[in-house]
Formats: sequence, C-alpha cells, structure tokens
Amino acid sequence: MNNSTVVSYFSQSNEFIHVHAWLSKALGFDATSLMAFVIFAVIALIIVGAMATIGGLGTYAERKISADLQARMGPNRVGPFGLLQFLADGVKMIMKEDIITTNADKFTFNLAPVLCMVGVFATLAVVPYSSGFILADLNVGIFYLVGMASLVGVGVFLGGYASNSKWSMLGGMRGASQIISYEIPATISIIAIVLLAGGLSMKTLVGAQGGLPHEWFLFHNPFAFMAFFVYFIAGLAETNRAPFDLPEAESELVSGYHTEYSGMKFGLFALAEYIEIFVVCGVAVALFLGGYKVPFDLGSGAMLVEKLGLDSMLSQNIGQLLELGAFVSKTLVLYYVVIWVRWTLPRLRVDQLMTLCWKYLTPIALFNLIGCAVWMYAFNGKSIFTLIFSAAASGHGGH
Amino acid sequence: MFSNTLFLLSAVLTVAGALMVVYTKNLMHACIYLLASFFGIAGLYACLGADFLAATQLVVYAGGVIILMLFAIMLTGGTGNKVNRYGLEKIPAMGNKKTYFTAGFTAIVSALILVKITMSAMSGNPAVANLTNEPTVERLGTILATDHILAFEISSVLLLGALVGAAVISRPRKEIHD
Repeated sequence: MNNSTVVSYFSQSNEFIHVHAWLSKALGFDATSLMAFVIFAVIALIIVGAMATIGGLGTYAERKISADLQARMGPNRVGPFGLLQFLADGVKMIMKEDIITTNADKFTFNLAPVLCMVGVFATLAVVPYSSGFILADLNVGIFYLVGMASLVGVGVFLGGYASNSKWSMLGGMRGASQIISYEIPATISIIAIVLLAGGLSMKTLVGAQGGLPHEWFLFHNPFAFMAFFVYFIAGLAETNRAPFDLPEAESELVSGYHTEYSGMKFGLFALAEYIEIFVVCGVAVALFLGGYKVPFDLGSGAMLVEKLGLDSMLSQNIGQLLELGAFVSKTLVLYYVVIWVRWTLPRLRVDQLMTLCWKYLTPIALFNLIGCAVWMYAFNGKSIFTLIFSAAASGHGGH
Repeated sequence: MFSNTLFLLSAVLTVAGALMVVYTKNLMHACIYLLASFFGIAGLYACLGADFLAATQLVVYAGGVIILMLFAIMLTGGTGNKVNRYGLEKIPAMGNKKTYFTAGFTAIVSALILVKITMSAMSGNPAVANLTNEPTVERLGTILATDHILAFEISSVLLLGALVGAAVISRPRKEIHD
C-alpha cells in the first residue's frame, strides 16, 4: 500500500510493537489488521469529536465576532465569556420537539440533514492536520475530497424539496445550483495547484511547499496567487456563506432550505455548515498556505534529536504537535476571515451570483490553470522567489 | 479480510440500491437509491485498486449526475392529466405480461452471452489474482496523453459541442420584427 495512514505513523513507536507482539501471542493470530482497525476507530472518533467542538465553537465565534462588528456584547452568560453557549444550544436542540410537517416527504426529510453531515465528515478523512496525523493519505486525496463534498449539495436540495414549503423549495434550488456552479472554479483552481505539486495526494501537495511564506504555493507565481482568491471566493459560495448565502436569505426566504427543520435536524445542518467552513479553509491552507509545514524542518524532529539529544520518537511527536499547531492556527485565521466577510458584505442577487461564477471566476480560473502550466514549462517549475534569488546571486557573482 | 468486508458492503449497497430504484414508486426516492448504488460502485472500484476511477465515480455521478437528475425531475412537473387529447395513455404501463416476459427473456439471454464471453477471463486471470494497490493516477494520465490521445481529444470536442449547444439553447431568443 502506498497510501500512508495515521496507523503507519503509530506503528513506528516501540509501544505499538510491544502491544502487537503481546496481542498476537494472546489471540493466536497476526493482530496487525485488528490494531489498525482499533487505531482508525479511535482516531476517527477523536477527529469527529474535535471537529464537532470546532463546529460548535464556530457558532460561538460567529456570534461573538458579529457582536464585535456591530458594537454589541454577544453571548456572555454561559461559562467564562459565554464560551459554553454552544453546549447550551446543543441541549436546547436535543430537547426541542422534532417536528415533521404533515405533507413532508418523511424519508427524504429525515435523510437530508444526514446526507449533509456524511458529506462533510467523509471529507475529514483526508484533511492533513500534520504529516503523521492524517487519517488516510489517499493517492487521490484532493479529488476524493471534492467528490465527497458534493454530497452536501444533494442534502441541501433534498432538504428543500422534502419540506414541501415554498421557502424551502426556493432555498434548496438556489443552494444546489449555487453549489454545482461554484464547484467548477474551485476545482479548476485546485487543478492549477495539483499541476504545481505534481500529485493528488494531500501529502504531495503540502510536501511540495515549505514552512516559510516565500515557499508557499500562494507566492509561487502570480497565477497561483490569483487561484487562491478564486478558490476562496468559490469556497465561500460552496459553503453557502455570505455574501453568497442566497439559499438561506433570511430577508426573503425566512431561512431557506432548513425553514421547516427543528431540533437536532436543524442542528445537523448548522453543524455541517460550520465544519464545512473549517474543511474549506483547511484545504485552502493545505494547498496555498504551506499546510502543516513549519520552518526549518522542525516537523520531522531531526533537528531536536541533533541539538537537544532527545529520543527520536519523542522529538517526532513534538514535531507533529508543532505541525498540528501550524495547520490549525492558519486555518482558524481563515475561519475568522470567513466570518468577518459575512458581517461586512451585503448579499448578492441570484443573477449577480451566476454572473460572478460563470462570467468572471470560471474564465479567471481557466486562465490561471493555463498560466500555471506555462510557468511550469517556461521556468522549469521554479517559484518566483527562487528565480529572483538566483538572478540576484548570479548578478552578484558576475562582478 | 478488510478488502473482503469492503467488497461485501459495496456489493450489497450496489445491488440493494439498484433493486430499490426499480421497486420504489417515488421518483425522488429512486434518485436517492441510485445515489446509494453509485456509492457502492465506487466502493467496488476501490476494491479493485482503481482509486482514481472510484474518486471519479464519486465526483461525476454522485456529485453531478444525481443533482442534474433531481433538477430534471423538478423541471418536468407533475402528471396531472394522464390521458392525452386522443384518449391514449401518456404514461406507458410499466408492468403488463408482455413487458415482463420481454424483459425477463432479454435479461436471461444477455446474461448467458455475458457469462460465455467473460468465462475465460474470470477463471484464473492473473490480473485479478495479483491485485496490487499501486497508485493508478500517474499511469492513467500518461496513457491518456500518449496512447489514447485521439479518444481524449474526440471526447473533449464532444463535450465542447454539448457546452456550445447548451449555451445556444438557453440564450434568450431575439424578437423578430417584421
């Protein structure tokens, strides 16, 4: 298997080898796949739990930041600074009556929030949190992510259809058309980066970059710089965030596709939205902003072993934690920008939305793709900074 | 063991989804079951080590085709009037004796022919026996851009034609003044 996973990271440690030997002896068969399964299950639970918390805290951050921008206080009663507000909201949602409208299509109505949730959670499998802590580094990582994320569109559409209400129907139609339209510029921007890195797996994409900003793909060449903004705008639209929140435009559609949902089903829609923002920001970080890379190759732990004389596994673990910190902090900065944009810009009209996608973003994304290809051919894949540095060095050497 | 479990799950999902597509009476539900079936097929591809094909299956069918089908169903509207103005049924009867017989007969014949053709390939094919999970993306790309460049170009021209056609159809018609 060329696909490295979180299990292959753990299998380097002594504890893994000890436990493996002991289990194999106790059970009487090779325990490798059993242990792999257990590790996968535990890590998946951890990731889902952590992401649900991030999604919950996302709702808190949204309220707090919006309050800041509008000179209000925001939630401040539950816990310190109102931090536990999302838990109180969760309890409220679970306790609420689960209403299914009389004429709703019950099967679809119940399925829609789950589809949204599954689509988002399935993408978490390939999000590169650090070089070791990635659930499965598939060969087709980014492609798989794009495919799975499109399930959300189906969920939004079915949610709108099943409610049997005009508001929901309009919201669902808008949501689905918006999601499939904006997938195109987003995917073309991703392809431009795939071209630079030469691979679809997340580790290849991140590994082709470095820890310092001038080694990021964002500053690799002017086309990649533009591709980042195209991807980010398209990502905003795919997650149905303002200024593209037409599917849930509260001034015209009450609440869009989840108007008729109450209780935890509404909660699932909201949670899926907030986790999807994290995933979109995480992909933007992994593709353009250097991902989990930390400067001076601290992530591999080789330097810690050399300078401080630490145990190799321990220093590797420290490196992983540094990488995790780098990835999550960059992602959360983008998360802040997403929320900031929502409370700053007014909403687009439907025709403006489609004009922006098809007449501006898609041609720009195609232009970027061709530009990146030409750049790779003309400058042999070197970044603009490498070219400047080498030109400066050769100019200096000429004297 | 893992790949066996994956295969069983995918196969059950594919077949059950396909059966439910046929047996459900609600067109919307049929679409959802078709989605499940497509996911099963993606799983089958993954079992065979065709990682790129599996991901493509998800992107194209689960993401694109299903949503387009849902839109198409939305645009067709209901069937309020089942009989047209000549008194003929607009919707053909799905299940009478003739159709069942024809369908069953065709299924049996085509299945027999398929088995006859693929028999030699299925028994002891070395390609199936030593499946390795090598990444297929790179080889696929190389082959598409070298050996099968003509097919690649033809399909791209076909898609371009479809795109232009869609643009022409959806363009607002100019009023003809005379």
